[in-house]
Amino acid sequence: MMNDNIKKKMCLNKILHNDNTVGYVFAAPFIIGFLGFTIIPILVSLYYSFTNYNLTTSETWIGLQNYARLFQDTRFLKSVRVTLIYVLTSVPLKLIFALFIAYLLTKKSRGVTFYRSLYYVPSLIGGSIAVALVWKELFSTRGLINSLFISAGLEKVSWFGDQKMAMIPLVLMSVWQFGSSMIIFAAGLKEISPTYYEAAKIDGANKRQIFSHITLPCLSPIILYNLVMQTISAFMSFTQAFVITRGGPNDATNFYALYVYNQAFKYYDMGYASAMSWVMLIIMSLITFLIFKSSKRWVFSEAGE
Amino acid sequence: MKLKKLTAFILSALLITGLTACGSSDKASGANSEEAPSQTTEASADKTTLRMAWWGSQARHDATVKVIEMYEAQNPTIDIEYEFYDFDGYFTKLNTLVASNTVWDIFQLGGNFPTYMDKIVPVGEYVDSGIVDVSNTNDSFLSTTTWEDKLLGLSNGVNCYGIAYDPQLFSEAGVPEPTENWTWEDYKNACLQIHEKLGIYGSSKLDDFIGGASMGISQEDYALNFFASSNDKLGFDDPMMLKDYFAMRQELVKAGAYPDPGAIFEIKDIEGDYLVTGDAAMTWVASNQMPTIAAAAGREIKLATVPRKKADGPSGSTIQSSQMLCISKDSKVPEEAAKFINFFINDPEANKVLNGERGVPIMSNIRETLEAEADEAKKEMYSFVSLIGTFKTGEINVISPARKTEIEDQYKLLIEQVIYDEKTPEQAAQEIYDFAKKKFE
Repeated sequence: MMNDNIKKKMCLNKILHNDNTVGYVFAAPFIIGFLGFTIIPILVSLYYSFTNYNLTTSETWIGLQNYARLFQDTRFLKSVRVTLIYVLTSVPLKLIFALFIAYLLTKKSRGVTFYRSLYYVPSLIGGSIAVALVWKELFSTRGLINSLFISAGLEKVSWFGDQKMAMIPLVLMSVWQFGSSMIIFAAGLKEISPTYYEAAKIDGANKRQIFSHITLPCLSPIILYNLVMQTISAFMSFTQAFVITRGGPNDATNFYALYVYNQAFKYYDMGYASAMSWVMLIIMSLITFLIFKSSKRWVFSEAGE
Repeated sequence: MKLKKLTAFILSALLITGLTACGSSDKASGANSEEAPSQTTEASADKTTLRMAWWGSQARHDATVKVIEMYEAQNPTIDIEYEFYDFDGYFTKLNTLVASNTVWDIFQLGGNFPTYMDKIVPVGEYVDSGIVDVSNTNDSFLSTTTWEDKLLGLSNGVNCYGIAYDPQLFSEAGVPEPTENWTWEDYKNACLQIHEKLGIYGSSKLDDFIGGASMGISQEDYALNFFASSNDKLGFDDPMMLKDYFAMRQELVKAGAYPDPGAIFEIKDIEGDYLVTGDAAMTWVASNQMPTIAAAAGREIKLATVPRKKADGPSGSTIQSSQMLCISKDSKVPEEAAKFINFFINDPEANKVLNGERGVPIMSNIRETLEAEADEAKKEMYSFVSLIGTFKTGEINVISPARKTEIEDQYKLLIEQVIYDEKTPEQAAQEIYDFAKKKFE
């Protein structure tokens, strides 16, 4: 008996004092969150994508019907197109802008740190509802932008009433939140060894040549990273369209994520919305894969092959 | 079963995070945290807790909370936990509760109640057992909340749709004021003329789906409805009945007499409507919004009926329940819930606080008390509802089947496509008919 007890205690002590146990205990909050909020919902949504689940009644298995429906849904096809346009315009603009500002801020002058923090502020408050609401006010019929247009002698623009215009405020809002890309670019720019620049200067290279032959290649791994991250987040854009345009007019800003939300929580078509999410995952993986594949051609690695 | 519970949990957890991010539940969660201390101070073990929820405006929240406090003061053993939301947030929350079988004991439902039939304990059972008193009302009011011969709930108030207008702007533009049986043609001409003379919008936004589709079809013939009364199919078979409304909306927007989709989108709430700001001479309202809009405008506002298709044809208007309080099947104390509903509908003091904000009360004694104290705008509302009550109607279906939201969104999308010249009114009419029909297959 005694022996048994001691054995048990020893066993427990062994488990408690094991390094791995401590690690798992500290990681538990993350593991629980990751399982509960990420992995399980993802797997459940895969199951639901093959059913007609609608929140209120129990689901039945309908196979690939949801996926087949997607290709006949003109609203869905339009939302894919709209999202692609958004990604293809907002991401490059944002990166160019971020790189430009980061480049300016590498100059050694007083107050650089202050300006860098200042430019980062929009990204800190970026995704919030409040900013989106302010953006909506700015571009409204009687908003600041239109007042500026009028005082500059231009015509008033109905930003949210014109199908071709409605996307512009959304893209501009995304570009305005260039801060996080900028910080990463700035860090990358600092890493480039000054000896390259000195050598180039001695050889008589001008500023543009230095930028395109030294700065860009040396920065290319950072550009790749920013490109991938920003592309993914642009595909998932929701807040801007949800708050500023509600997808209108005539679905001109009906982003993919917004349409998924509407199908799920407005029309209660959970099965269909789940299928849509999975298609989005496939599209996004494919594009990320293509970017990585292409990176071999344009990303320069100092370490060489 | 296990999987289902788990999903319900995850969904609600996700929703909570989602909603906080979206901010739509800010008010509700704020109110909850404010209320929490006062509810725990008088903690006692033998208290019965009732959970209740509703949607609406700030005025409604304030009044309802006051009535709840009155009831708690009179019934010390009852503790009511309440939540309130905006309309969309309410139904998102309700759906997750339905999935997890934890619907509030007392909950508010509007015309879309058939979706939630499985969750409702008909209040009729408690009328039979004498807990709920309906002696001061009559069948025509009770029928607004009766479904398949069961009295599901008691209407919090009845209302009907109308057009609020500014008589001053009408006379400035030289347009005669609307009559009881004015037509859409009259409406269109009034809009065009007001725009031409005064440079403002003739009309602010209409409820397109009700005006053009559900009411529009009922205006064709006494026997017709957009959704058949059985709510499992369409109640008409000629798509071209929908054509004129599309054409009218297109013409008005092109002329500048009606706000374009962007301008419509800028209207945040009834207090910010173009009629209130003086940028339009008319707007669409439910009669219970009349006092709010008149107070916000601060000038004389009158109520006209919704225009008809033919001056001597059906009006398409009917008195309907704006919403009702229901008892949920998940409630463990349905009898206590019924007692509260009885208080909410029948108590004169409580209704003085509620003051007809949810619509004209169905109990005649309550109606008389409120009418006696009513201001101009409220009087206009009461007389308007009685006027609609005198119109000849067929069996108008004001109940929304589950697929209505989708159909309504498609309808609004098609209106925009017609405005932007992507579709003709004929194509749009045919398309929405086919779309809606397919949803019932």
